[in-house]
Amino acid sequence: MLKRLLLIRGAEIIALTLLAAIPLTVSNSYVLGLLTLLAIYGILLIGLDVTVGYLGQVNLAQAAFLGLGAYAAGLSVSLLGFGMLGALTVSMLVGLIFGGILAFPALRLEGPQFALATLSFSALSTTVLNEWEGLTGGAQGLHVSRPIFWGHTVTAQGFYWLCLILLALVWLAMRNLLSSQWGRAFEALRDSPIATDAMGVGTYRHKVAGFAMGSALGGLAGGLYAFNFQYLQPQSFVYELMVILLLGVVLGGRKSLWGAFFGASLVALLPNLLSNRLLFEVISTIGLLAALVAGVRGLMKKTTRPFQAIAPILALGLLAVGGMFVKNTEDWRKAIFALMLFSVVVGLPEGLMGFAARFLTRLFHIDPPALPPATVLDRVLPAKTPDGGPLLKLQDLKRHFGGVKAVDGISITVHSGQIHGLIGPNGSGKSTAVNVISGLYAPSAGKMLLHGKALPRGMFHVARTGVSRTFQNLQLFSELSALDNVMVAMKGVYRTPLPLVLMGLARGEEKRAQADALALLALVRLKHLSRVSAKDLTYGDQRFLEIARALARKPELLILDEPAAGLALPDVNKLVEIIWNIHNRGITIILIEHHMDVVSELCNVVTVLDGGRVIAEGAAEEVKRDPRVIEAYLGTASEAAAAEPCSFQTNP
Amino acid sequence: MYSVIISQMVVSGALMGLVYALIAYGFQLTFSTSQTINFGQGELVMVSAFFSLTLLDWGVPFWLMVPGGLLFGVVLGLAVERAGVRLALEQKSEGWILLTIIIGLLGFSAAENIWGRDDRPFPTPISSDALQFFGVSITPLEISVAVGVFTLMGLIELFKRKTLLGKAFEAVSADRDAAELMGISATRTVMLSYGLSGLVAAMAGILVSPITTVGPTMASALILKAFSVAVVAGLDSGFGVVVIGIFLGALESLTSFYIGSGWREAPGLILLILALAVRPNGVFGKASIRKV
Amino acid sequence: MLVVENLYAGYGTSKVLTGASLEVVQGKIVALIGANGAGKTTTMRAISGMLKPEKGRVLLDGKPVQGQDASRIARLGLAHAPEGRKVFGPLSTEDNLLLGAYSHLPLFFGFRAKSAHDLERVYDLFPLLRERRHQAAGTLSGGEQQMLAIGRALMANPKVMLLDEPSMGLAPVIVQEVFNTIRRLKAEGITLLLVEQFAKSALEVADYAYVMERGRIVAEGAPAELRKDERVLAAYLG
Repeated sequence: MLKRLLLIRGAEIIALTLLAAIPLTVSNSYVLGLLTLLAIYGILLIGLDVTVGYLGQVNLAQAAFLGLGAYAAGLSVSLLGFGMLGALTVSMLVGLIFGGILAFPALRLEGPQFALATLSFSALSTTVLNEWEGLTGGAQGLHVSRPIFWGHTVTAQGFYWLCLILLALVWLAMRNLLSSQWGRAFEALRDSPIATDAMGVGTYRHKVAGFAMGSALGGLAGGLYAFNFQYLQPQSFVYELMVILLLGVVLGGRKSLWGAFFGASLVALLPNLLSNRLLFEVISTIGLLAALVAGVRGLMKKTTRPFQAIAPILALGLLAVGGMFVKNTEDWRKAIFALMLFSVVVGLPEGLMGFAARFLTRLFHIDPPALPPATVLDRVLPAKTPDGGPLLKLQDLKRHFGGVKAVDGISITVHSGQIHGLIGPNGSGKSTAVNVISGLYAPSAGKMLLHGKALPRGMFHVARTGVSRTFQNLQLFSELSALDNVMVAMKGVYRTPLPLVLMGLARGEEKRAQADALALLALVRLKHLSRVSAKDLTYGDQRFLEIARALARKPELLILDEPAAGLALPDVNKLVEIIWNIHNRGITIILIEHHMDVVSELCNVVTVLDGGRVIAEGAAEEVKRDPRVIEAYLGTASEAAAAEPCSFQTNP
Repeated sequence: MYSVIISQMVVSGALMGLVYALIAYGFQLTFSTSQTINFGQGELVMVSAFFSLTLLDWGVPFWLMVPGGLLFGVVLGLAVERAGVRLALEQKSEGWILLTIIIGLLGFSAAENIWGRDDRPFPTPISSDALQFFGVSITPLEISVAVGVFTLMGLIELFKRKTLLGKAFEAVSADRDAAELMGISATRTVMLSYGLSGLVAAMAGILVSPITTVGPTMASALILKAFSVAVVAGLDSGFGVVVIGIFLGALESLTSFYIGSGWREAPGLILLILALAVRPNGVFGKASIRKV
Repeated sequence: MLVVENLYAGYGTSKVLTGASLEVVQGKIVALIGANGAGKTTTMRAISGMLKPEKGRVLLDGKPVQGQDASRIARLGLAHAPEGRKVFGPLSTEDNLLLGAYSHLPLFFGFRAKSAHDLERVYDLFPLLRERRHQAAGTLSGGEQQMLAIGRALMANPKVMLLDEPSMGLAPVIVQEVFNTIRRLKAEGITLLLVEQFAKSALEVADYAYVMERGRIVAEGAPAELRKDERVLAAYLG
């Protein structure tokens, strides 16, 4: 534990001290300028990493936020007479506000459309900066004077220390944020936006918040950028810069503060790299050798596809060889960035930091911090005595998809405290019904009442009314650990306000959430696997994990969508025990299942669907013998077979 | 008199809009089979336009240059698919977004160095003497743009409908798995879609260069507008792109006239962001259903 | 004609098939029945290449095809009419059928002439499709789409046909028609592996049947015997 603290925090403190001390020993203004840029880009890339690393999207607007923040800072000094702190606050706010404005439309989108939206925003910003000459000076540029800081003029050295302090503060705040519920929520929504909503953690609002934070940091970096260079042009903030920033984040390593830092060093040093041909050749040759070694190893061990191994070698080879033949490496900047980024995206997608982290953890055997003892289950999931009255009422519920009537008028009442089975052959509408109840689809007609009140629209809102669910096709947060999976769902339970989280004051809540999550994992017998990545669990354990996660919000109604699908017999028995346990705590359960033995053992009442309609309802044993049910499952006899004695009428 | 000016603006703008529509059509081709588009398509247009110019510089006659330039476009399209898209599709990741951006940047840099950073005129045997139609003057060159766009789109649509390979293309767009079960290789079909997309882009370059000149800035100028058209119309909307392209072209022309030429980009960009916000699947596109 | 040996397959960590083996002799109809989630559709997908099996072998006419791409296996003579029919909605009925024969038709022109004979044969089998030959496949009714899917598979003149849950989502009357069609194909000597949820109908047309539960075969034999077998009932209704 102490070892971990020393190593990680120690590294941070040493790095910070070194950086702060350098100008005291080295009095080269060039080096100082470089270090200042490093700090500024550090802040910028940390902001970019939020969307690119944690949210997993290609964000092409960060350079634009840099530009907007820069101009905002410059103008607030020249037009409004603000001092340093005021101007920087303005630049940060400008980033935040524009980021928010862009986020609202852009974050309803995924993948390429999101990238396009950010690209358009970027182009639009450049256009505005260029055209609004009255304000910005247009293409001719804007001179910025460095304002005073609390009554003192700021020297180059002083400015550097200011940037460094801000970097340190941003570092601390983001570290606190990303290791809290927020960071987990960001990662969760990248793995499964549907499950994130279903667990009552708003996918959309988190994406917007994450993006806005990243753009605020972009704005802040912009303000510092303005006071660093003291001259701004719209051309500085275009596409080419954006690609360099992406190079920094991807090469440094996504989802990592250190990665962003290394990436920033690269971005700051890049111009130097290019102008010194010898240095360039040395580095590209090193890169080529590394790619050769990695590529050959990957091919031999069959861990990488041929393209993944060979393409980086070709790209870096082109870089090394090309560098020797071209007249001027500066002219080919864009191609050089492109080849470097290509090699990294294809060959080292985890970036340098991801690679280093794996290497270092093996070297130093760093243990993760100890987990608290699990809370008593009764406190996490208090037992209640249900009154047996109607809890959920579906009235003539319908859901059509074009011409297909998946759910065609079902009316069911689920009484509190019961385990209500929902069965039927393939395509009978069970999953669709459940998807409508949980809010994934809106109903085409009919009503859904919980305690007599209409259920809200959307998975997020339904989850907040006390309805929780698992999925037929697993929707786990596969990159997160089992413990984290459950903890994501606990976000609604504990609610430290964001400013306190940033200041690192949410630790206590974090420990309590961990303890509670461990209790739920113990309920499904997964406590010993809490640190294992969800994607590495066995299939049966993954199913149980989904159940534990669904319980995090202490639901009143739990919907289990084919929990036994694909389970081996011992796991099926375990499942039955777990469901029984949940039932004994007074939680109402709707169980969709094909395993009739499970249904018979557990369910108080069973509704049978076929063709989108209810064809039978009653106790499990009755329903199994209902001829309509048997027909629905096994099919009708043809005329020829009707002549034979049919042995499918079950014996009583 | 005033209305003549407006009609003039609208018509010239609409013709430019057809070029955006053509490039957007190329996006539809790749998106329908693979759910991907080439983010570096603007650079592809530029590089193939420069190549076509070089052919002319070398004395290749115009009518021979056209297939030469188009073939080059096909080759570039195939290269983009192989280097930037195939791996991501195999891994079911979205890495193709970054990779096509990167390849585009590489192309841009190469073009800058091989052909220089200045805009160069593109010679053409088609005349620029204005003809008069109902008081609006249009040049044969501008008409050739319309002819080229409609001919190429028409030919490709004919290909899709009348040949078996074309039907296979549609099949992969409709249901990739089922198409594989028929013996249709989805990978080869994606290659075909990128080749066609490259062809279309090269054509756009050849059509527009005589009017706007060839230069590095051509890439970004065209591409965002083509994106706007593709997204606003919907990436699966067929001829919707023509309608939206004409609309956007006309709108740009009017904006440039009334507000200022520097602002001509703005309507397209704003439209794009709005469209993405309000109807991500486009005005003519179809909504998708989530499956759990 | 088709031999499946000890097949293991799954999705991600979910191990659906745990050692399934079956055989389809030329000219016979073999039924694969079992409850939902037993792994029947997974078996089909692992055979046709939509899913790559982890272990085990699939032999088509003596040649191992496991692990190959679906398009390759299709060209070797295996036609899979998948669960849910999956017709090409925007294309016409006739286009769908033509695409069924894709692997042995010329790509650009001349394909209509070459396929005319096979097309007529399918239209004779399914006159309703002839009526709707130019209609978009997506607008056909469920039963018509099922006929189209079967017709499409027949166009390939396959060595083996896989038919996955043809009755799903169809009204009982239509299901009868589908099985009548299967009976006619049986008379023509088709080699067919049929997966069905409706055990009764499947057992009526089959020459041999396998019962699957939890990813492996738990019973097999002639349909007449299986119908009286308790295990079959148990596999469905517990």
